[in-house]
Amino acid sequence: MAICTRCIMDTTDPDIVFDAEGVCNHCHRYDVVARQRIIPPAERKERLARLVAEIRQAGKGKAYDCVIGVSGGVDSTYVAWVVKDLGLRPLAVHLDNGWDSELAVANIEKTLKTLGIDLYTHVIDWEEFRDLQISFLKASTPDGEVPTDHAIWALLYQIAARHGLKHIITGTNVVSEAILPEKWGYGYFDWSYVKDVHRRFGSARLSTYPHFSLLELFYYIFLRRIRMVSILNFIDYDKERAMEVLQKQLGWVYYGGKHYESIYTRFYQAYLLPKKFDIDKRKAHYSNLVLSGQMGRDEALEAMKAPVYPAELLEEDRQYALKKLELDEAAFAEIMAAPRRTFLDYRTSHGLFELAKKLVNSSRQLIG
Amino acid sequence: MRRTRVIPTLLLRGAGLVKTTGFRNPVYVGDPINAIRIFNEKEVDELVLLDITASRTGKGPAFATIENIASECFMPVAYGGGIGSVEHIRKILGTGIEKVVINSAALRNPELVREAAREFGSQAIAVSIDVKRRLFGRYEVYGDGGSKATGHDPVAYARTMQDLGAGEILLASIDRDGTMTGYDVDLVSRVTAAVGIPVIASGGAGKVADFTAARRAGAAAVAAGAMFVFHGPHRAVLITYPSQAELSAALN
Ligand SMILES: [Zn+2]
Repeated sequence: MAICTRCIMDTTDPDIVFDAEGVCNHCHRYDVVARQRIIPPAERKERLARLVAEIRQAGKGKAYDCVIGVSGGVDSTYVAWVVKDLGLRPLAVHLDNGWDSELAVANIEKTLKTLGIDLYTHVIDWEEFRDLQISFLKASTPDGEVPTDHAIWALLYQIAARHGLKHIITGTNVVSEAILPEKWGYGYFDWSYVKDVHRRFGSARLSTYPHFSLLELFYYIFLRRIRMVSILNFIDYDKERAMEVLQKQLGWVYYGGKHYESIYTRFYQAYLLPKKFDIDKRKAHYSNLVLSGQMGRDEALEAMKAPVYPAELLEEDRQYALKKLELDEAAFAEIMAAPRRTFLDYRTSHGLFELAKKLVNSSRQLIG
Repeated sequence: MRRTRVIPTLLLRGAGLVKTTGFRNPVYVGDPINAIRIFNEKEVDELVLLDITASRTGKGPAFATIENIASECFMPVAYGGGIGSVEHIRKILGTGIEKVVINSAALRNPELVREAAREFGSQAIAVSIDVKRRLFGRYEVYGDGGSKATGHDPVAYARTMQDLGAGEILLASIDRDGTMTGYDVDLVSRVTAAVGIPVIASGGAGKVADFTAARRAGAAAVAAGAMFVFHGPHRAVLITYPSQAELSAALN
């Protein structure tokens, strides 16, 4: 197995390519994206001030200035902290997909109470969502988290539009999320994909599931002029330091692992992806930290030797997931044994997105 | 002395949880298994689980669902909804539920309470009384999920239930349900003054101070729904439970 000489990505990403020095395409992309999107330190203060003024102006006379998503995780909690610190009046939005851990809801509660932020929650009907999650498991692609991710983005746009707000402030950031191989997770903006998988494998009606078609996405972006703002790219975002602030100021509690505030995410990333698809998302995550200078390469390689998650907790999560999804052992074994597929086996808008990216160079800024 | 118990009330409609206001307009709040998992970790004293459709459908309690839920609970659980016979109660207690809550059946056939208490012991039998305030402050017991006036006075009715062997009264104010404006303290004191068995105050809790008020009015335990599932001005679904320190300060 070939591994990049600069980060720790390897050929478990089927699309990886290396240059003559053995540096991978992700590293090269990181350099480009970082240059484009991380605001240079010298310009930060001014650009941030301009952004805050713009958001405040847009929110004038309204109950809120902007929308933020909250999950109880470090990125979104830190966004809440930063946004309040900047004097903005955010409305927090939470998607309840039935998998919140106690830590997640307790973190959200503490954050919102301490910072004085209002909350809106959308609860997806569980029977419906269960059907959709099982559909993605049966589709046999590594995109089983897409039903959640798509719904979150849809919800953020919907709530921003409902309140007449122009800014959705997100925790996506170059520092920790620039590397993500397409074949490790595709489709959170792609309703065609979700629809096709559900049409093939699902049976419930999706009536409370938030979603948006490509047309609706254009409506939000170009007609309603709703912008996604990656605020963490405007500041010096250091995860360790951020967590310290949250723990001290908000009583926030760490849950171990990236996005493990959701039990399904933990099960999916720590059990299903490695076991079925040979995908260990820590590789991308640590590579990101290596490239942003928050972790040494040797340190990252060493950290990879530890198990993704303690074995007995992994088994606990697996049993809970099966019970909640109402899958018996035989059905689950069948899912685990089914041949691997990718989004290319389904009807998607992938081609259109690729075209849009080429046509509108600035679309990245618009759709995050 | 053990402090006043603080009990989340979960309303089951089909396979999902809902929260009502004034016993009406159920709002979906999620999947019971997930909610219970969170309440487990919050170390709640007890749970009351009421199936608000079981009575209406006439099919009786959904035993498989009850068993599934009971098996996830670390705390004692009282179940109500659709219970019509001693046989129903035996099956429910067999799923790991500690206590049953009888409502419509007690109104229709009070003897069931006597039989059940004799068979399973009073500690396993709670009777719930749903009360509406009428003109001139008169209180009246309502049946069928708060939709039908029965003519009963709650104080006299509670005493009758106690005499039949009920071990506990779950006293719910229909008017306050889901409002988070505080318990109907007057109703609580009237009933607690008239009976010797524990009374759980229900309907209206919005903050910890409301628990203190109910306790002063004689409640042995307090139940709350909206307070533990809704947050802030948008009534955003977010499961909460006060910390043990907060509860001790308010209820010891
Ligand atoms: Zn690389």
